[in-house]
Amino acid sequence: MSATESKPVMGLDYAQVYDQLAKVSERFKTFNRLVTTDAKIAQTPKTLIWTLNKAKLYRYVPIAPPDQRKRIPLLLVFAIMNRPHVLDLRPGHSFAEYMLARGYDLYLLDWGEPGPEDKDLRFDNYVLDYLPRVVRKVKSVSGCSEFNMLGWCLGALISTLYAALRPNDGLKDLILLTAPLDFTDKKTGGFSRWTSSADFDPDRIADTFGNIPGEMIDYGAKMLKPVENFIGTYLNLWDKIDDPKVVEAWHAMNTWVRDIIPMAGGAYRQLITEFYKENRLKAGTLVLRGERVELKSLTANVLNVIAEGDHITPPCQSEGIMDLLGSRDKEVFRVRGGHIGIMAGSGAEKATWPHIENWLSKRAN
Amino acid sequence: MSQNNNNTAFDLFDPTGMLKTMRNENMDAFAKAMVQLVNTDAYADATGKMLDTWLASSGPYRKMLDASIKQALAGMSLPSREEVTRLAERLTNIEFRLDDLDAKLDEIAVLLRTASARNS
Repeated sequence: MSATESKPVMGLDYAQVYDQLAKVSERFKTFNRLVTTDAKIAQTPKTLIWTLNKAKLYRYVPIAPPDQRKRIPLLLVFAIMNRPHVLDLRPGHSFAEYMLARGYDLYLLDWGEPGPEDKDLRFDNYVLDYLPRVVRKVKSVSGCSEFNMLGWCLGALISTLYAALRPNDGLKDLILLTAPLDFTDKKTGGFSRWTSSADFDPDRIADTFGNIPGEMIDYGAKMLKPVENFIGTYLNLWDKIDDPKVVEAWHAMNTWVRDIIPMAGGAYRQLITEFYKENRLKAGTLVLRGERVELKSLTANVLNVIAEGDHITPPCQSEGIMDLLGSRDKEVFRVRGGHIGIMAGSGAEKATWPHIENWLSKRAN
Repeated sequence: MSQNNNNTAFDLFDPTGMLKTMRNENMDAFAKAMVQLVNTDAYADATGKMLDTWLASSGPYRKMLDASIKQALAGMSLPSREEVTRLAERLTNIEFRLDDLDAKLDEIAVLLRTASARNS
């Protein structure tokens, strides 16, 4: 029925009502599809070059002409309780794609999903067993004795520990994104406050579950901003559901968010006790497999990227260690945005990515 | 949000505008209140206690369930979770050794290449 054929009845134009209902129905269908299906993410071509237990190392297929490629490889290290696909979210909006186009030889470490046999994995294992082997493989494949590393969230913590313990391993430039390193302030950030409660017992949690369920970690992260995460995100989507660009971006992000994985129980115990509760890294009392971690031993160039609106890693958890680093060349870069938004949000391409790229390219490749 | 520009005035051509503004404003206030709530010591203590109580009370049942599953698996001559886990751990150890061998082979290959380049 078209608008010209309809007649107003009781003040209502049925054609318009019908059109509106059809639109609402279409929106519901789109909404349902977005929240229940997976978008295609992490599509930039890459080759699997190394595996160990659940960990996988990929090398992205270079796209820049050979004469424009950077000499020093860049290793991407993401957190241990999420998939690293957020670094390559979707074609046209992918950090990996962005860096490849600028000639970087890019490697991605995926820690994988820990099984029951991995429940005792600790940061000691990630830093001293896995990462040195990954670095060895990167050097062997790239043929370069130096390398650069970008760590994000707990990946930044692991990268920092590695850089401090193995300063002569060839690490040249280290980029830290939303790195939780300093837990002096127990009142800023929900995680610090929650875990400092006397009743919060990480050992009992890890003893019960083995590996900490991804759903539990995800729920905890969402509870830091409950209204935004449980209601706001869906209302915002509904408001902009007719905009294909917004829909596509939301779908990709939601696909990544939904793909949650457990965290190794041993690493969880260590994170809560030795980092959150006892702040051992900042205090200089952290010991990994008999080796004391001293931040002054970290001598690589450091770019510390901080998200000003980060509820998961508040800025104070990243900033506080800068003076303790042994690096002569170190910079703090503050970006507007949240924990994930600074790298995967719509503004990342204009703010965070170019800054990282400029910082790296200035330091010779 | 763009709707916030004309907060209070009723727009005849946008009858839902006021509702949206109200929703956004209330939502913002609600969101801020909730963030403040979850950032209190009282919330942290309450959550810690609830979690601890739940883990303590469900522990014995979980242990009973695990024991009965283990017994059932043994009754059917099937390996238990612990046995499969131990096997997986052994495989991981073998993987580590293979990776170390791979590293040594890489080193040998480099040395051989260097030596042959020197000889030629």
